[in-house]
Amino acid sequence: MSTAGKRILMAKTGLDGHWRGPTVVAKALRDAGFEVIMIGMARPEEVMQASIDEDVDLVGLNIGGHVDVAVRAIGMVRESRPEVPIFVGGVVPPHAKRKLEGLGVEVYPPGSQLPDIVAAAMRLTGAA
Amino acid sequence: MNSNNGNGRVWNTASGLHLKNFYAPEDVPESHRKHVAVPPGESPFHRGAYPTGYRTKPWRIFQLSGFGKPEDENERIRFLLEQGETGFIMEHDRNTGDHCYNVDHPDVVARREDVGLTGAVMQSVRDIDICMKDLPLATSYGHAGGAVVQHAPFALAGYWTVAKQRGVDLARLPGTGQSDFFLTYLGCVTKQQIPTRDGLRFNADIMEFCDKHLPRWVPVSIAGYNGADTGLNAYQELGALFANAVEYLEEIKRRNTMSLENAARACGGVNFRASMDLFEEASKMRAARLMWQQLLERRYGITNPKVANLRIHCVTAGSRMTYQQPLNNIVRGTVMALAAALGGVQSLGVSGYDEALSIPSEHAHQMSVRIQQILQEETNIQAVTDPLGGSYYVETLTAELVERAWEFFDEIMEQGGFLASLDSGWLHERAAENQSEDFRQQESGEQVIIGVTDHKDDVSPFDVDGFMGVDDAYDVALERLHEVRRTRYEKGASQALGALESVCRDGENIMPAMMDALAAEVTLGEIGDVYRSVFGDWATPIQT
Repeated sequence: MSTAGKRILMAKTGLDGHWRGPTVVAKALRDAGFEVIMIGMARPEEVMQASIDEDVDLVGLNIGGHVDVAVRAIGMVRESRPEVPIFVGGVVPPHAKRKLEGLGVEVYPPGSQLPDIVAAAMRLTGAA
Repeated sequence: MNSNNGNGRVWNTASGLHLKNFYAPEDVPESHRKHVAVPPGESPFHRGAYPTGYRTKPWRIFQLSGFGKPEDENERIRFLLEQGETGFIMEHDRNTGDHCYNVDHPDVVARREDVGLTGAVMQSVRDIDICMKDLPLATSYGHAGGAVVQHAPFALAGYWTVAKQRGVDLARLPGTGQSDFFLTYLGCVTKQQIPTRDGLRFNADIMEFCDKHLPRWVPVSIAGYNGADTGLNAYQELGALFANAVEYLEEIKRRNTMSLENAARACGGVNFRASMDLFEEASKMRAARLMWQQLLERRYGITNPKVANLRIHCVTAGSRMTYQQPLNNIVRGTVMALAAALGGVQSLGVSGYDEALSIPSEHAHQMSVRIQQILQEETNIQAVTDPLGGSYYVETLTAELVERAWEFFDEIMEQGGFLASLDSGWLHERAAENQSEDFRQQESGEQVIIGVTDHKDDVSPFDVDGFMGVDDAYDVALERLHEVRRTRYEKGASQALGALESVCRDGENIMPAMMDALAAEVTLGEIGDVYRSVFGDWATPIQT
């Protein structure tokens, strides 16, 4: 299996504008052969719509704010594309991490290393 | 001779400047040596802004603070003042503030739980009034908020309007805002923002207005911090900051509505980041003072010592605070604060040890104050000004940073100037290069972060769960928005908004009309709608 043709949607759930994390992650994913579609700051329904329109294999959410906004986005994606895995990065305090993991979502908080994130993307998309 | 690298390792500063094993007198560049004997408080000021340093002016303990409802933020600010903070910062909610949206804007409704997580929601002068309850406006040093350019006129006018209502003479009111290009157009690129050219106009308007009405107010604060924490290295932060100052000064020069000296004084309160490379960061503050003096003298012929002495606010690097083993961050905060103090800054904020998890808890906030108090009161650091001055290493590093920073400044000028380098995304690319390099170095083992890349085991993990904020910020803000609309004098509000729109279109100074708008209880989102219709949106050069 390979990353060729695997598509990953990346979105920010918040309006905070911190682009450093998602940009670095997107670059690492592209370097690993993924096709990355970045839609920037998106509302939950926009994330859901893009996951359909772009026919992606994985959704990556960057959280800069409250976990419940991400939970809503996750719920909407799952409703329309239940087969698509989701992973999350950003400022995710432990209580939020537990909540997300309880939903079956992998969480990569600050300090996560890029090779681990790339490996997770490969595993989640079936590229590895 | 002394280029011994130890076991083959290359030793560099965080910005990549090569380091020798030790420094000797001949390492200090000839051209720099003459500055070393000049005492602090004298031109070129690299040894300090003031002659007696911290003996007479201890650095201001100045922490960013804010969350929830205006009364929650007020309570936290008063807590910090009780703990010994010597100035205060009002942070507005970023979702609404940065974008100039009210809470009923669809983009805010979609993220309603985020509201109040990064500052109190302040949509009208009534909210600002609550947030400022019992604060010592006339005697302390207040930061009105308004870090993002399009938001600053609202935040400032709100603060000043409340101060006026309380009988404070604006001509004597001390304080600052921020209105920072680095944050707005580089570090936290928001979903919607007025174009850089209009942002420059706003900042020049604020400078002019303060020149006439608020002479003790620092109208804008150029925050290299926001460039550095996005990826710019030490000398890039310096070069870009002064390239930004040049944009402001050129705009004022073109307008010819205030003296260039006053404009320079208005720009001469800046904000730098202190990160973990102790000596490079301390040297950076010294380099900054030297560069400001050089810039003013060489480019504008300004030598007035009251203008050429750069005053520095410093914030420790939030990006260096780790999620893992968060109590280690108390040590990091201390080291970074030490770098700032050794560099002779006038004011300092220390990031919370829970920075990577959430906005600061009350305990983390108190710790940020305590770190500074311990340094001030227990280490004797305030006794001697510029204690690193004359060190062959630090003077060499200072001189090298100055040289590299002017080179980077020249590169920005070749791009067409600071604004052009933001519009094209050139500066974002420089930051992104360094971000990737940082990760590469962490993977290769060249850069060690304790608890993250090495020594990951934590014997007895200390439970830091991140600050939860309050859960009624959105609902209360919505209720108050409805109340303002219901109870304000509607004709007055709509006239004031109409007048503001005309001024935005005609190009007059926006601040008098903004003051009228705030007094008439015009709301943030209504002002934002005017901006969006008059100025349109900045064409973001990066895909966020």
